[in-house]
Amino acid sequence: MRIDRIRLLVQALCFVFLIYGGLLGLSIGTAIPTMSCIYAEGRGGSCFLYPFQRFLSLPWSSLFGSVAAAFLIYLGTFFIWALVFGKTFCGWICPLGFLQDLLTKIREAMGIDGSRFAWATRDRFQWVKYALLVLLILLPMGIGNSLLGLPRFTPDLAVPFCQICPGKPFIPLFYGDTSHILIDFSSLTKIIMTSLSMLIAGLFLAAGFVKRRYLCAFCPMAALLSLFDRIGFVGLRKKGEACTRCGNCFRACPMEIREIADLRDRKHMVTQDCMLCLRCIEVCPEDKALQATLLGFPVFSASAEGFLKRQARTAVLPESGNKSVKNADPGTIPSEH
Amino acid sequence: MITGKKGDTPHPLNPADADTEARVARRLSLHLAMSVREIFDAISLEKNRPASMAPFDAVFRNFADAPDQILPATGRKKIGIYCMAVPEELIYAAGALPVRLCAGSSDAAEAGEALFPDVSCPMVKAATGFTRTGVLSMYRDCDLVIIPTTCDWKVKLGELLSRHVPVMMLSVPKLKAAESSRRFWYAEIRRLVQALEKVTGKRITRKRLRTAMGLLHEAQQEFRIFQTLRMDDLCLIRGRDAAAVANAWFYMDAADWTHAARTLNEELKERKAQSLATTPPSAPRILLTGSPVVFPNWKIPDLIENAGGALVCDELCSSGRLLWDMACIDEPLFEDMLDALADRAVLPCTCPVFTDTEDRRTKLFRMIQDYKVEGVVHHVLKGCHPYDMELRPLEAKLAAAGVSQLKIETDYSPEDTEPLRTRVEAFVETLKGRRLRMGKSA
Repeated sequence: MRIDRIRLLVQALCFVFLIYGGLLGLSIGTAIPTMSCIYAEGRGGSCFLYPFQRFLSLPWSSLFGSVAAAFLIYLGTFFIWALVFGKTFCGWICPLGFLQDLLTKIREAMGIDGSRFAWATRDRFQWVKYALLVLLILLPMGIGNSLLGLPRFTPDLAVPFCQICPGKPFIPLFYGDTSHILIDFSSLTKIIMTSLSMLIAGLFLAAGFVKRRYLCAFCPMAALLSLFDRIGFVGLRKKGEACTRCGNCFRACPMEIREIADLRDRKHMVTQDCMLCLRCIEVCPEDKALQATLLGFPVFSASAEGFLKRQARTAVLPESGNKSVKNADPGTIPSEH
Repeated sequence: MITGKKGDTPHPLNPADADTEARVARRLSLHLAMSVREIFDAISLEKNRPASMAPFDAVFRNFADAPDQILPATGRKKIGIYCMAVPEELIYAAGALPVRLCAGSSDAAEAGEALFPDVSCPMVKAATGFTRTGVLSMYRDCDLVIIPTTCDWKVKLGELLSRHVPVMMLSVPKLKAAESSRRFWYAEIRRLVQALEKVTGKRITRKRLRTAMGLLHEAQQEFRIFQTLRMDDLCLIRGRDAAAVANAWFYMDAADWTHAARTLNEELKERKAQSLATTPPSAPRILLTGSPVVFPNWKIPDLIENAGGALVCDELCSSGRLLWDMACIDEPLFEDMLDALADRAVLPCTCPVFTDTEDRRTKLFRMIQDYKVEGVVHHVLKGCHPYDMELRPLEAKLAAAGVSQLKIETDYSPEDTEPLRTRVEAFVETLKGRRLRMGKSA
């Protein structure tokens, strides 16, 4: 079975669990490094970022005082999740990633060609996710404390990232909850934040239909998780001397990571945008040029044999074609009528 | 942008030349038949040759016996191609037969010589010779000849050939790493698709392309098995025969070739089980790289093997490189499949016409390891400037890694065979001596 089919299945299961698991009383906690939205009532585990921003908006006296222990335990839980699973959260678990992949599947089923970032565009905007990460840390801090002598920010700015994350309008929809699709006119801050949210939600739908994993390129959670790229349990290794730079991996990569094909001298290939979907390994025809590793041990390796076997399932072989045409001229590809 | 048309009478520049043209054709026909028979006479004396070489031999014997039967009997359109840069999948998908026209005959090179400057690539001279004289009918029968602008010779070849056959030029970008190059090349491939559809009158659909790509993958699977068998400590097949197997791909239908290659692979596996080698284990293992080696120019492979070397692999666009790199079939959409084919044709290609030299260097080092190579022979055809240019830095890198090398600069003509033999024999002896010094069993 193709990796991306298995992945879609795993994503679907994770989606159901993360969105509806709570209805059965199941939960895997509130420090999950994935966009399992806090606004979904029956969630089976929720996104790390909401409580994180809440913690940060506390006055420093309590953040480093009474709740310090709770905060540390909370960070520690996140650390363990991120260390063990790392970017597999992006590729295999994230509900927003799954929704984008679904949009892509729909687009492909309709035969609509996708689009790609120009290389320069992709390179130019890589800082955005780090900027969002810095903002989602600084803005909450400015609510409970005065930063550099500035006046404290309005509480309307609470959990700023959640206010603009596309999870907020979309994920509650799976309970029929449309209450987050609105522009809130109660204050200027609210107007700005909810307008931004609607804009990003629109972008999510539109761009998701045009390009694979469009918004993932700007996700601050990916920025956080990429801190664990080198030390995480799951790895992606490249053997440069076996690579022919044929570009199969680059074309297959939903995140359009050029480095995977172009760099020969780099061993660890979990780059800042990588979501460990492992599609690159699947389409690599060179033995052991790419390998997925768990704790340093290879678990899935590229090979010519495996490549051909997987590809053969997609190929339409002449034998399966129109029998009457077949004997006319061996090797002729039967025409479709 | 197709110039020339099929069945154009080869109008000599000067009517008085008509006689000369006919004489040149007669001489080529005679000499070609002689050199082909000579090759097969020598082969018939060899022992231990795999019997499954027969279908490949049959193709080449026809060069002498029945030049109009080299290609399979087919009602399909024939598309001539001059380089690996043309994705053959597209031609199969358009219901046509691709024919690789890169030529290796010294007699044909002589017949084409008059139209070229002194130091010219013998490959284009030979191709022009065949096209001009029509001695091999396939050079004139093609419904379209596609010439990628890989090297300067090919850039100018189109104008010469378009006097006899319809020619389409395909512009190949030389800088693989740039995005603009890739987009340009993707567009060229689409232009090729349109031309093929126009010539064949058939639309290249997604399903037909998938079938064609599947066809190629089956061949590539056999090719990879074949190459892997050649990595064995035992030399299961002569390097010249291996080159012939790949060369036969030029003229055979993909399905026929795959079938023949599968039979050969089965035989080689049996030979491996019986420890039946074509070359004694004392023969030093040699890699051949550089300018293409095309039938009937077996000069270099024969020199190496007759001098006691084992030609275990080659990195040539005419054989070792030919079917190695594989494109993805499971791309989601038709346009993605075209991009996949475009990338496969150019990105992994180690031809020195590209600015990138690292890919070839990496490939060579990997092959030296995989095939346990002891010495490298660089084959530079006179006039093949890209290989010549790339050689010096490449030689330095290989030398720094302790690889023994021999550079052979030659053309197709047999004139320099004897001096070359002395050099190749000396090289093989050096490798043997080196092996003794390294303490390996001889």
